[in-house]
Amino acid sequence: MSTSPTLVDTTRAEFLKFRTVRATFIGLITLIVLTIGLAVLITLVIKANWSQRSPVERLAFDPVATSLVGVFFAQFAVGVLGARNITSEYASGAIRTTLAAVPRRVRLVVSKVIVLLVTFFVVGQVVVFCAFEIGQMIYRSGHLPSGTLSNSTDLRAVIMAGIYLTLLTLVGFGLGLILRTTSVTISIYVTLLLIIPIIVNFLPSSWQDHISKYLPSNLGQSMTSPSAISSHSFSWGTATIVLVIYTIVIVGIGTLLLTRRDA
Amino acid sequence: MLKIDHLSKHYGETLAVNDLDFEVKAGVVTGFLGPNGSGKSTTMRVIMGLDRPSSGRATINGQTYDQLKSPLREVGALLDAKALDPSRSARNHLRALALANRIPVSRVDEVLEFVGVASVANKKVGGFSLGMSQRLGIAGALLGDPGILLFDEPVNGLDPEGIRWIRDFFRSLAKEGRTVFVSSHLMSEMAVSADQIIVIGRGKFITSGTVDDLTANAVGTVLVRSNDPARLAEVLRAANATVEVLNDNGLNVGGLNSEQVGEAAFAAGIVVHELTPQRASLEDVFMTLTADSLEYGHKNLEANS
Repeated sequence: MSTSPTLVDTTRAEFLKFRTVRATFIGLITLIVLTIGLAVLITLVIKANWSQRSPVERLAFDPVATSLVGVFFAQFAVGVLGARNITSEYASGAIRTTLAAVPRRVRLVVSKVIVLLVTFFVVGQVVVFCAFEIGQMIYRSGHLPSGTLSNSTDLRAVIMAGIYLTLLTLVGFGLGLILRTTSVTISIYVTLLLIIPIIVNFLPSSWQDHISKYLPSNLGQSMTSPSAISSHSFSWGTATIVLVIYTIVIVGIGTLLLTRRDA
Repeated sequence: MLKIDHLSKHYGETLAVNDLDFEVKAGVVTGFLGPNGSGKSTTMRVIMGLDRPSSGRATINGQTYDQLKSPLREVGALLDAKALDPSRSARNHLRALALANRIPVSRVDEVLEFVGVASVANKKVGGFSLGMSQRLGIAGALLGDPGILLFDEPVNGLDPEGIRWIRDFFRSLAKEGRTVFVSSHLMSEMAVSADQIIVIGRGKFITSGTVDDLTANAVGTVLVRSNDPARLAEVLRAANATVEVLNDNGLNVGGLNSEQVGEAAFAAGIVVHELTPQRASLEDVFMTLTADSLEYGHKNLEANS
């Protein structure tokens, strides 16, 4: 009976904590509504206006990317959910109870990462596959060009869209570990995804060519597109590796700070 | 056994705990007494591994908190009753703690029942009163049936019935051979609930002992009434006593015992109506001991009056 607790026990505890607050479900519903809801809305609009499109516009039409556009809205929902997993504990003071129960702080972070990684991998894949399939159904019903999962590049784009959401959940979590307050964390997260791209846009284009491909949102575009977007963007594989490195560095810094700071 | 080993803690320039060094024994209730801001909570946080000591350490059965394999089975603590996620139910809060320490989940309902919050176990803790949160915190501390229990200001927010309950509860825990370490800034509370008292002020150790030890060593005063209090005060001051003239013309005399006061009055030919030694209360002792260490003392006010 007195066998000491393991990573499995702390992970079970963290999973219980994760699923017993209402904010988790509100966040997950937001994620589903944004990803699938926007896929329905946008594909229906495109279908309705198809007849007015010029042949050039029709040629540029990307049935896969247009059905996955909700991912770039849902990225804010997953970031907030990831961040709140730790910042809400700091806000209420519950972090002290958590650390009293699990004084090994690295183990605590690993447990939280496992919970977020598994949950958001599963939920992320489900929502992007639903968004894709519903979108293609709508396109097919209007006899528009459509994608299919039997096409390996289409399949890859869909899977990578889900992985992009999973990684951004962890980016939000890592920022939360570093910054500890929900509002500051969300401000920085939104700045990274929305504000910095705008600033980069004002830079000379030779600079942009070197910088913009490293921006998280552009990494997401590269990860989910069937082929390299331009000569100045990463391939899907490189983009994924860069985003994984970002995630590891941010969560790593957060973990280091957690082990050094007073709770 | 709980041992504080030359512990110091700085927060920036502030020295919150200054070389504290003591042991807390099993089988008795030990009070940890000091004014607000004297370093009690900081010491508790260091014991719990939440804050890192600047130097020294706190050990539980020879290990620091973060070395404990299953911490809630060795130490139970109630530091801040409101430090809970408000949107989680009481039962789920305790279930998460139980899971993380491999404590059977059946234990959750036992402790909820024991502290008397079983009827609201499925309610969100955000809606709990401070008293209910305190009880839930106690349930959390008892979850792993630990040998060492820490309570930081546990009577805050409890009603009189709850206060009596918690005193009896501390005693019964100690009687079972556990180490019970309770902080308070209320000396009156410690006088009735603790067997052993450790007094600190401004982060420094001041004294320790039983309630009787602490009051026995303290010098009391003598209350004296006479037909000529003004002259008696003069006589006593001449004998190097400190004299406080009370509103009813009684004198509160320090620095002399009752024999000396009586003899001085007789020598001066003053009739004495009453002569009563005043035993120092724990409260007086505490005030004397910590007078120099109060962060915001009333010394200047008294000096001007």
